[in-house]
Amino acid sequence: MSNFEQFHFDFYQSNYTIEDQEEVCNSYGSDKNLCESRKSPTEKHPAAFVPSDVLPQSYTGRILQPACSPDAAAQLGYVDGFDEETPLLEELGINFEHIWQKTLTVLNPMKPADASIMDETDLTGPMVFCLAIGATLLMAGKVHFGYVYGISAMGCLAMHALLNLMSASGVSHGCVASVLGYCLLPMVILSSSAVVFSLQGIPGTVFSLFIVGWCSLSASKIFTSALAMEGQQLLIAYPCALLYGLFALLAVF
Amino acid sequence: LSPQMWQVGKRQASRAFSLYANIDILRPYFDVEPVQVRARLLESMIPVKMINFPQKIAGELYGPLMLVFTLVAILLHGMKTSDTIIREGTLMGTAIGTCFGYWLGVSSFMYFLAYLCNAQITMVQMLSLLGYGLFGHCITLFVTYNIHFHSLFYVFWLVVGGLSTLRMVAVLVSRTVGHTQRLILCGTLAALHMLFLLYLHFAYHKVVEGILDTLEGPNMPPFQRVARDIPVVSNAVLNTTAKTIALTL
Repeated sequence: MSNFEQFHFDFYQSNYTIEDQEEVCNSYGSDKNLCESRKSPTEKHPAAFVPSDVLPQSYTGRILQPACSPDAAAQLGYVDGFDEETPLLEELGINFEHIWQKTLTVLNPMKPADASIMDETDLTGPMVFCLAIGATLLMAGKVHFGYVYGISAMGCLAMHALLNLMSASGVSHGCVASVLGYCLLPMVILSSSAVVFSLQGIPGTVFSLFIVGWCSLSASKIFTSALAMEGQQLLIAYPCALLYGLFALLAVF
Repeated sequence: LSPQMWQVGKRQASRAFSLYANIDILRPYFDVEPVQVRARLLESMIPVKMINFPQKIAGELYGPLMLVFTLVAILLHGMKTSDTIIREGTLMGTAIGTCFGYWLGVSSFMYFLAYLCNAQITMVQMLSLLGYGLFGHCITLFVTYNIHFHSLFYVFWLVVGGLSTLRMVAVLVSRTVGHTQRLILCGTLAALHMLFLLYLHFAYHKVVEGILDTLEGPNMPPFQRVARDIPVVSNAVLNTTAKTIALTL
């Protein structure tokens, strides 16, 4: 604490530091009131504290001493850079808490969705789910990775066009891709059950229809809450159901 | 060089953007409520009686577009359950090409005929009318791809297909003046609509029947996959040649 106070005292005394403060204020620029309020006390201090004879000597002395402001600032800068570096996941934009929230929203189609969860477009989850579908289809002996990616891409483009036409505010490609990708999660359940037993036949058809309905209900719920299109949920659910029905065809046949 | 490339890129992007912005022209045609769509679907099967004054056609594109996609899905499902193989193409491409080709092509042709016969109908209304007429096709094909009786198909073809055709014909008649013009327009539309349903059933149904025959007999012949675009004659020729070669060896 005492070191700090001394530092403060010296800081306000020298001319160099006052100009430095002025420079800093100019570079910030935006908050002029703050700069002015910071300027006014410093302008008073030299008049109050520093006698004219002492100033140049103390100023020269300060510069030559090692534990001085430029060095300390450099050290501080180095430490700040290391501390202020954002964590890797934050830099990549992967937020596990949000991913988990969105997954829970998809898994429970009856729960009303929060409109703000789709604000950031996150494609990590959808990529993982597409890979999971491809992998489970592979386990069933079908190599359909190309079909999965192709259907996803065409479906995203088509849904993006349709949603832009139907909603008052537009949507971005990323948002559409993110929502459709997240709601692909129940389809992973369908394709993994296709590994264990064949889905052709009445029970398989009923199960596929149930999963397709689940996916499209979740997707339409998120779209209607994000785009404020109440009353049109069925109109959005139907094209989603057609899209997820294509995935179900891949899993069944 | 890079500023030039930037300029060219920017120009192309703005051109693409203005092209995309033209999609906003279609925006009013997608402004519907689920109740309206349901009402129009049911109305498309009910022929109107009043043909003395022009009947109202909803100029809406959401319902017809969804019906076309539904028809594509039904065709795909039918092809998959019957193990159809398509050479020189894909199942998806064939289904989409057939359905969209019918909807857009026949609508344009009928619009052209309507222009010649002086009928009061716009292109969007024609697209909408024909699109909703596909509802009967969807119902018929959905039922008859899963329940395989020829007589059932013919009943559905006449009743369901006929009702939707009658509705379209009545609306067109109400908007056209003159007997010859009415005859030309409505005859063409009825013929195309009914024949399309017949084509969809038989082009995609042949293979299903083939599999049923092999499964029903007690002595099962080896499973044969019938390729769709090899005609039956050459298939028979190929089979007999293979058999003769096998016998001679």
